Amino acid sequence: MTRRRLLSMIGLTAGSAAMYQAMTSLSLAAESNFKGPIQLTDAPKGASVLVLGAGIAGMVAAYELRNAGYKVQVLEYNDRAGGRNWTLRGGDRYTELGGATQECRFDPGLYINPGPWRLPHHHRGILAYCKLLKVALESYVQVNYNAYLHRAKAFGGKPQRFRTIKADYHGHVAELLAKVTQQKSLDSLVTAEDQERLLQSLRTWGALDQNYAYVKGEASADRRGYDTHPGGGLSGRPVQSDPIGLRDVLDSGLWEALPWGENYDMQTTLFQPVGGMGVIGQTFARELGTMIRYNAKVIDIHQDASGVSATFEDTGASMSRHTVSADWCVCTIPLSILKQIPLNVGRPMIDAIAAVPYAAAAKIGLQFKRRFWEQDEQIYGGITYTDLPITNISYPSTGFFGDGKGVLLGGYLFGANAMAFTAMSPEERVRKAVEYGSKIHPQYHEEFENGISVAWHRSPFTLGCFGAWSEEQRTKHYENLCQIDGRIVLAGEHASYLPAWQEGAVTSALDAIGRLHRRASEAGAKA
Amino acid sequence: MKIRNSLLAYRWIIVVGMLLMTVAVRAPVRADNAGMMTPAPLATTDGGEIYHGLCQGCHMADAMGAHGAGKYPALAKDPALTSSTYVAITILAGRSNMPAFGVKHGAGAMFFSPTALGYEQIAAVANYVRTHFGNHYTDRIKAADVAALDKTI
Repeated sequence: MTRRRLLSMIGLTAGSAAMYQAMTSLSLAAESNFKGPIQLTDAPKGASVLVLGAGIAGMVAAYELRNAGYKVQVLEYNDRAGGRNWTLRGGDRYTELGGATQECRFDPGLYINPGPWRLPHHHRGILAYCKLLKVALESYVQVNYNAYLHRAKAFGGKPQRFRTIKADYHGHVAELLAKVTQQKSLDSLVTAEDQERLLQSLRTWGALDQNYAYVKGEASADRRGYDTHPGGGLSGRPVQSDPIGLRDVLDSGLWEALPWGENYDMQTTLFQPVGGMGVIGQTFARELGTMIRYNAKVIDIHQDASGVSATFEDTGASMSRHTVSADWCVCTIPLSILKQIPLNVGRPMIDAIAAVPYAAAAKIGLQFKRRFWEQDEQIYGGITYTDLPITNISYPSTGFFGDGKGVLLGGYLFGANAMAFTAMSPEERVRKAVEYGSKIHPQYHEEFENGISVAWHRSPFTLGCFGAWSEEQRTKHYENLCQIDGRIVLAGEHASYLPAWQEGAVTSALDAIGRLHRRASEAGAKA
Repeated sequence: MKIRNSLLAYRWIIVVGMLLMTVAVRAPVRADNAGMMTPAPLATTDGGEIYHGLCQGCHMADAMGAHGAGKYPALAKDPALTSSTYVAITILAGRSNMPAFGVKHGAGAMFFSPTALGYEQIAAVANYVRTHFGNHYTDRIKAADVAALDKTI
């Protein structure tokens, strides 16, 4: 062990603590600003609101404003509610930009969520609406110690169980820190008393033996598992497993994925709606009923001293053009589309709308003849992470031990890889996901049946995945984006500090309508 | 000597810690998920391969663009392509919904950022779209021209 390697190891451990602190101080890991159900009452007599977009933000706004006494009308481009809150199930058809149509051929009960797919326990806003709407929730498994970490060039491409990499990384780091402590190298940093406590804690944390060594034995096996598991009777004698050496663990790079389940947004407990994320949007839509007009493509938004009007094309059979008006407008149309629609708001808001680029992402759902990940590999929910372009294989957090078919999230791609997949045909994306995934699960070759893919830049209703704010853009434009401009206020994940999360949409909508209601109340009955 | 070593160790903690912080801030801790993915730069310098491996994601294989709630512009028979400078700057720095593909403009830097294209690739794909899809412009832009343009924006 060279000094350099030893010191860098210490840095690595200090780094993980420092990382969390950095994220917190940059408010990258802050809880949402949901403060419980909003209480809007006494809408000015006869006052009306036009809501553009029936995604989560639009439907939260419509629901609360209606309850406050406003006359509310919602325009939605799609023929369904939910927006990116969306589940693809067997029989569903999806036509992407460019005209390619896919039919989902999953068995009954199987699905993928092309958009959001998990609800952190501290996303209290979206969870409150699930409760309100009686959307049943179940656990979503984020961290699975028996899932894999994989890099094409680590361990000859053989996937490693999360459990073993985590145990061995922590164990070796703990041993090194214990050595440094015992060599009195920390005297100027840690008091003698604390050094004793530090040593004890390192033994506990890293599963070290009595000599503060991370070696094959009872302590390490209790973390990393056994070659032969403990059992009963004469055949039940356990065989402890051999830790992977420090150098191999470091060189593998697999340690990079260890803290992801510790990020604030990914910490246990997480939830998912029973039956798919889209159940939230579907239930919301039933609640709002005829308030939502579907197949309405907004082509112009105009405000003047007396109100707001939106012109839309009916994209159904008629292709007719209509204009609807209201006193106020909550616009939740994604900025990627809103920037293309004539809209008379002030320069600061126009500039803000234009400023935010949309991130590329793609997801691929794959149906297999059997749940081989459970049957062959004992993986129940959770995520395998890989450096292949698919980045994730996510196992269903529901339907465990089912005898029938199963659907995996076979890829969740970002950035450059998502762009490359977006340029492919839907069938090619599925084919590539199967090809990559088979490097981790060879069963793919035998068991694959069919798949479906959504590349978000091909989505007709978003032209991208989510508002990818840079800190610079946020400093310059965010407050201008969120202001009420005359009679119009914007809402959605793009108007939040929680981009891509539904909680951003919910809290953005609540924040916007709270301010709009005050403005409307001040303006009085004759808005 | 012992103190010196400790200080050295401490300095390492800070340096390596800061490096990791950079990674943490750049990694998508906010958004829906993380992966170990390293954005691989596009290897080819063939304009057609770049167009069909990347650009057609939005502009479509026939360069006719697309219409939904919003639209992607067509590049076929596009009079805006008259100026190769305009095309190159648009690819480098982005425009409206189109992301920037120039490294200086953020491409390839982060997990969520778009594919990075080098000057030679930008020149190649600009020349490709200006000579295909019903476009018949005869002048060509070179990598050096793109590099020079990038200095001005």
